[in-house]
Amino acid sequence: MTALLLRRLLALPLVVVAAAVLVFLLPRFSGQDTALAVLRSRTGEADPDPAVLAALRERFGLDGSWWDQFTAWAGAVLTGDLGVSYTARTPVSGLLWPALGVSLTLTVAALVVAGLVGIPAGVHAARRPGGRLDRALTAGSVLGVAVPEFVLGTVLVLTFAVTVPVLPATGWGSPAQAVLPVVTLAAFPAALAAQLVRAETIDVLGRVHVTVARSKGLPDRVVLWRHGGRLALTSVTSLSGLFLGGLLGGSVVVEVLFSVPGVGRLLYDAVLGQDLPVVQAGLLVVIVLAALAGIAAELLALALDPVARSAVR
Amino acid sequence: MSAEVVTGRRFAAAPWVRRLQRPLRAGAVLLLGVLVLVMMLPLDPTANDLSQRFAGPSLEHPLGTDQLGRDVLVRLVVGARISIGFTLVVLVICGVAGTLIGTLAGWVGRTLGQLFQRTIDVLVAIPAILIGLVVVAASGGAPGLWSLLLAVVITGWTPFARLTHQLVVRERSREYVEGALAIGASPGRIAFRHVLPNLSRPLLAHLCLRFANVLLTVAGLSFLGLGPQPPTPEWGAMLAEGRQFMFNAPQLVVLPALAVVGTALVVTGIGRALERRRPTGPSGQF
Repeated sequence: MTALLLRRLLALPLVVVAAAVLVFLLPRFSGQDTALAVLRSRTGEADPDPAVLAALRERFGLDGSWWDQFTAWAGAVLTGDLGVSYTARTPVSGLLWPALGVSLTLTVAALVVAGLVGIPAGVHAARRPGGRLDRALTAGSVLGVAVPEFVLGTVLVLTFAVTVPVLPATGWGSPAQAVLPVVTLAAFPAALAAQLVRAETIDVLGRVHVTVARSKGLPDRVVLWRHGGRLALTSVTSLSGLFLGGLLGGSVVVEVLFSVPGVGRLLYDAVLGQDLPVVQAGLLVVIVLAALAGIAAELLALALDPVARSAVR
Repeated sequence: MSAEVVTGRRFAAAPWVRRLQRPLRAGAVLLLGVLVLVMMLPLDPTANDLSQRFAGPSLEHPLGTDQLGRDVLVRLVVGARISIGFTLVVLVICGVAGTLIGTLAGWVGRTLGQLFQRTIDVLVAIPAILIGLVVVAASGGAPGLWSLLLAVVITGWTPFARLTHQLVVRERSREYVEGALAIGASPGRIAFRHVLPNLSRPLLAHLCLRFANVLLTVAGLSFLGLGPQPPTPEWGAMLAEGRQFMFNAPQLVVLPALAVVGTALVVTGIGRALERRRPTGPSGQF
């Protein structure tokens, strides 16, 4: 297992470097003068003073060649200096880390809710395939996969903040404000987990060891969970890494929708405002996080599945 | 992320459902024909009548009008052309590219195949919304259909490549491939004339299952304003526009939402039906 971990971690620098190059170069293909755009938004003048523009370009480090700009940026990032935001005019790290904390809270909460709802739903549906409960849960999960975050979020706001005003529609900080964003974000992974767990559990329940457990006289509940559901969990955990990556993407929509001050919203505003330091640092951090989540999920799946573990050794 | 989950066995339909299946199928085909005809109507989604703002349903405007007095039904139909048409274009590009890349990766050696799989695993994990943000940043903060296309295609081909790779690697050990090799067929001929036709059904099913995913991603990016700009009636963009008025005119939000979700459900249903019909006996022939 350690060897596997090392191999995966060795691949990580490659991902980071590739992501850094991509994140740095792509915004520079725009052919737009970033310094000019920033100066325009700061002063409100269509044709700012060329001297001021040149000074600003020099201060942003936008006057050198791409290679010089990249090495300067990458060197600074390696020492922990993420640069200064063009629009907020404060260090990026001061904006990014708190926002990342908010986003992680949101996504982890959504993942937990999804697991708590989706996994039992899938296991119970598998108990009697084709039964009434199974049909209801399957219909729910099909719908859950087909409804995107922006539709679900809007409908939830329409229902619980407009028609029956019981929950706040925007903001972040109180538990009540977290309910709608978390539910919106959790729906898709919950539905997908339910489908996956159902299929796997049905498969597992047909195996010999389940028949043995049944003939030993173990109670239904124990057979279902300890002998059936547990095996099904490995496939879900290996997917949860993907979920986390996807959730970070989905959280862009949810954070914009509910005005949550997370990294998705920060990135969204930064992209529209041509705030390159924030775009670069934010995307880099999120992509690295998604890759790390993938590795973590793989290890977690191994920890849960003794058969796969011995195969890796 | 995708909805590519096999859900196990099929429900036995009730007798009255089974009796209805044939007429239902005929009805569905008829409905599809009518829809295609409606799609071809010359409609103007920006024709407005400011005296008719937020009008309720009437004979003239069956689904009412929006904040500028534009017919909501007309906008939904034109939006269907954009949303569905665009999704189909994306799917064709991603499907062809992914299938070709996956086939190629399935024919190269084991080490290269492993490397391919690692790369795909990382690419699949990067959400399309984030790519969308990068692409819009690259387009200088001025999004449109082209930046949207690029955003979805950059990682959109990876699920197809992954699936094709897995299937091709499995097919390669089959006897018919061995037989084709023995009579001296070239690798290209075996791949395109023997293996790929055998994989057409699972790949087609996957195409249908990906449709919903791409449609929702496209609509989501448009919703964030990272796609076609108003007054283009893309469904996601329409929903975003309608949000400002949802207190007084919730139908401006609900109708595009229903259009997106309904389309996604229907195509996913077709995909699941295709997938279920795939016989999975030990010979595993498709």
